[in-house]
Amino acid sequence: MAANFWTSSHYKQLLDQEEVDVVHPLDKEKGVTLEDFKLIKMHMANYIGRLGQNVKVRQRVVATAITYMRRVYTRKAMTEYDPRLVAPTSLYLAAKAEESTVQARLLVFYVRKLNPDEKYRYEIKDILEMEMKILEALNYYLVVFHPYRALSQLLQDANLNDLTQLSWGIVNDTYKMDLILIYPPHLIALACIYIASVHKDKETTAWFEELRVDMNVVKNISMEILDFYDSHRTITEDRITTTFNKLALRS
Amino acid sequence: MSEVPNVFSKKVADRYLKREVLGEGTYGVVSKAIDTKTGQIVAIKKIRLGKHKEGVNFTALREIKLLKELKDPHIIELIDAFPHKGNLHLVFEFMETDLEAVIRDRNIVLSLADIKSFLQMTLKGLAFCHKKWVLHRDMKPNNLLIGDKGQLKLADFGLARIFGSPDRKFTHQVFARWYRAPELLFGSKQYGPGVDVWAAACIFAELLLRRPFLQGSSDIDQLGKIFAAFGTPKPAQWPDMVYLPDYVEYQFVPAPPLRSLFPMASDDALDLLSKMFTYDPKTRISVQQALEHRYFTSGPLPTEPAKLPRPHPKRESLNTRVSDFNQQEGPTVLSPPRKSRRVMPQRDGFEENAHQVEKSDEHVNDIRQATGERMSWNEHAPMSIDFSVFGSRPPPRPTINSADKSRLKRKLDLEFQQPDQD
Ligand SMILES: Nc1ncnc2c1ncn2[C@@H]1O[C@H](COP(=O)(O)OP(=O)(O)O)[C@@H](O)[C@H]1O
Ligand SMILES: [Mg+2]
Repeated sequence: MAANFWTSSHYKQLLDQEEVDVVHPLDKEKGVTLEDFKLIKMHMANYIGRLGQNVKVRQRVVATAITYMRRVYTRKAMTEYDPRLVAPTSLYLAAKAEESTVQARLLVFYVRKLNPDEKYRYEIKDILEMEMKILEALNYYLVVFHPYRALSQLLQDANLNDLTQLSWGIVNDTYKMDLILIYPPHLIALACIYIASVHKDKETTAWFEELRVDMNVVKNISMEILDFYDSHRTITEDRITTTFNKLALRS
Repeated sequence: MSEVPNVFSKKVADRYLKREVLGEGTYGVVSKAIDTKTGQIVAIKKIRLGKHKEGVNFTALREIKLLKELKDPHIIELIDAFPHKGNLHLVFEFMETDLEAVIRDRNIVLSLADIKSFLQMTLKGLAFCHKKWVLHRDMKPNNLLIGDKGQLKLADFGLARIFGSPDRKFTHQVFARWYRAPELLFGSKQYGPGVDVWAAACIFAELLLRRPFLQGSSDIDQLGKIFAAFGTPKPAQWPDMVYLPDYVEYQFVPAPPLRSLFPMASDDALDLLSKMFTYDPKTRISVQQALEHRYFTSGPLPTEPAKLPRPHPKRESLNTRVSDFNQQEGPTVLSPPRKSRRVMPQRDGFEENAHQVEKSDEHVNDIRQATGERMSWNEHAPMSIDFSVFGSRPPPRPTINSADKSRLKRKLDLEFQQPDQD
């Protein structure tokens, strides 16, 4: 991992799981549980991913947008910052920050196209207003490191290039969780490589041992990812709708 | 919902007491202000909103993004940022003057020790950027601000970029023309920190000459001026040159002795200068190496910042720049092989536009990239083909089922039993 990660604002802002898993008091009042909280964030990560595909931005932009969205909710309440507006705005801001601007007009077009549900329909002016609020919520820290680059380098180093597709997909899936707020990206990459290599029966023990990393952390991340794959199967649209109703936004 | 007044930001704005306007930037007005909480004098840049309803200005966002990561004694400090009446405001430490004002002030005598000090501070700021994988891309005396204790700091990061990924393509439309490295003028899109070194060399030369060194009136003329000063490069000297996108062959001219261009510079100064002005960016000296050059340890030693000469407190006469000297003819273009670009008739370096960098250029490119030709722009691994859980597309990879999962978990448990660390 590039030396600058350790001096970056990203590194300094990493949180513990317990700090991330705090439901804002205002949301709690509305009956939002920790599980609901995680569910909405996951749903919004998916939404950002879909929007990203449609407006055609790089995966990196999507990943940054999801990170922004997740960071916002470590500080702000969903009842005050409607996730259905924060999601497209995060993508809008991330695209700028990652040097591949998406026009607000285009974004709003796809927001409408993808959502028959009126509650998702925000206008350009809403996005521009929210952009400023997100910037403030992020305390203007915009640089985000992702596991992707470390992943390519590590796979090459381990001579595991045939695991690229599988491990890349797993990295994408980690954005449905809060891992990016908690762990250094190269450790997330390692966990994904680990899962992929075990899954494909590749012998990597020696290679992992040679890396001077805390394998306990890698193991924990791997377990969390696997737990996630387990639990996310049981999520239904109904469940998401019910959760959103609790927030009772834009009645 | 979002109609709730933003009480917090109003408070932040009230903290600063606005005073006179200091200057007009490309995307906003800069005013002096007092931080009533600390008594500190600051400079506040009010970012103009984009014309086309595109929210926070793209260039401003770049500056915020990078300055939040770059904290160094030789880089301008972004103290704070806040929205006020729909505009974003950036709070910087206040700086008294800039290097351009120093160079232009005819009442100032710059000793060799003073020049060394200014260059050293410039390179220190640049070294920090490069260590953090940031290219400044707009190095020029006007963007090197000078504080009340003589400290020089890099400012104006509106064109700066992170250069981490090796295969990323950049726009070559960066820097004011007179500070542009030859690889940029030949259209290179995969350049590196060497472009900042070249610009720093131009600033070094400008400190010695007290006028911009290479005042080209067009890109072609700029290269002509460069070649007139250092000789037309031979392919052996710079093997990649002929493959650059906008390469055109120039008539061969030999290099005059460097000493003849800088009669008053020391041998060490000339040696460093020639290493910074190396044609091939691959062999051009790095900023770190430049800082370790004996020029900085041989006498006279760099002047202490507090003892450096400063211009009269009035910050003006910047617009009435005289571009004098500079009559020397450059070599002419022989054959434009691919691009048929016309060679401009020699104008005498009086071009207003020479200092205007098209700041939105890369931005425009990116929009194009995003809507069409984005494949070449992708990171090398096959991302976004796999939105497995993200998209509605069928995942092109095997999914992990429950049985797999428990097997994996067991295996994980087993294999991590013997943690092998200190
Ligand atoms: N920190 C500062 N202290 C004092 N004056 C400043 C400061 N920053 C900018 N200025 C003034 O504002 C002008 C424009 O700012 P700058 O950031 O260079 O914008 P631009 O992108 O247009 O070059 C500068 O030329 C300078 O006169
Ligand atoms: Mg400037």
